Amino acid sequence: MPATDTWVAPTWEQVVRDHSARVYRLAYRLSGNAHDAEDLTQETFVRVFRSLADFSPGTFEGWLHRITTNLFLDMVRRRQRIRFDALPEDTERLPGTAPSPEQVYTDTHLDPQVQAALDALSPEFRVAVVLCDIEGLTYEEIAATLGIKLGTVRSRIHRGRVQLREALAHMAPGRRPVLEQGMR
Amino acid sequence: MNIPVSHLAQEAIAALVDGELSGTAAGRAARHLSGCVQCRLAVEAQREAKEALHTSRDVAVPGDLLSRLQAIPFTADVSATGGFGGSGTLLATPDSVVGGRFSARLTPQEAPERPGQARWLRRGVAAGLAGIGIGVVALAVNLPTGGTAGQVARTDPGPAVSTVGERTEIVPPVVRTVSVGTDLDGGTP
Repeated sequence: MPATDTWVAPTWEQVVRDHSARVYRLAYRLSGNAHDAEDLTQETFVRVFRSLADFSPGTFEGWLHRITTNLFLDMVRRRQRIRFDALPEDTERLPGTAPSPEQVYTDTHLDPQVQAALDALSPEFRVAVVLCDIEGLTYEEIAATLGIKLGTVRSRIHRGRVQLREALAHMAPGRRPVLEQGMR
Repeated sequence: MNIPVSHLAQEAIAALVDGELSGTAAGRAARHLSGCVQCRLAVEAQREAKEALHTSRDVAVPGDLLSRLQAIPFTADVSATGGFGGSGTLLATPDSVVGGRFSARLTPQEAPERPGQARWLRRGVAAGLAGIGIGVVALAVNLPTGGTAGQVARTDPGPAVSTVGERTEIVPPVVRTVSVGTDLDGGTP
């Protein structure tokens, strides 16, 4: 989006066309399934539409990231509350809503094991890692998006990646962690 | 011989992989890495995880979702908090109602640096609403007067503005014929 003086105001259609893929991708990487990703994307754009008055072109992407990640964290926290209230034996019987690996790949073209490893991260770590490694945000942008300190961003990314790698190694024994290789 | 070894901080390892260390700090880290296998492995592990995520970034948005997003200006419920609402994340202030829309604020959101630049889209939507508004007003003006003036004015296919001008000329004959009709009161002409 060129921020020049001759900048032409886009229509809502253009806003949706230009930004929906990014929002949906982020929502998918965070939530790990198409259903939640669609809900998150829809709700993000509803909020964008409602808050257009606060929009400034230079920060539109950051704004979208912020809304999407906050909605995701809200969703996770609400579900954690619900799970906490539910009986423990009930949670075990809850049907797995995780999509099949084939479905994940068709939806996202992301290695299903990588998505599964992402899903295994705690939401706070997942958000930091996704924003950094998939969305390509700088630490400063991540700090602004999540409203946390730079040091917290660093440590969440570090720990998130450590967990991610462990989860990947656990799922695919063939994928040998470098640590073991190096110790020989 | 057991000299306590100081290693790179975990935060520094992540930052190094992401190119987020300053020049001098990166130089220090590089010097340390040249002599420390453990930290080299830690850096490599971070890089490995990062690369695992850095796969194809293309995700196709489902077509029906896209059309739902396009329809938001017509379907969005301005008063409801929506499916992800609750816990007070959405604050609509009474004075934020502009042209029949709410502007909502997400609590963790930063203060907008340049709120004035939001006007382009607002103006576009407002212009659209105004266009619809003019149509509605024209219709509203048309209907009651058209009702009293009889069917001639109401069925006039011309544009709203010209209708308003012409109606005064058309109405009198209609009213007159109606009044003539009632005066006769069933009598044959």
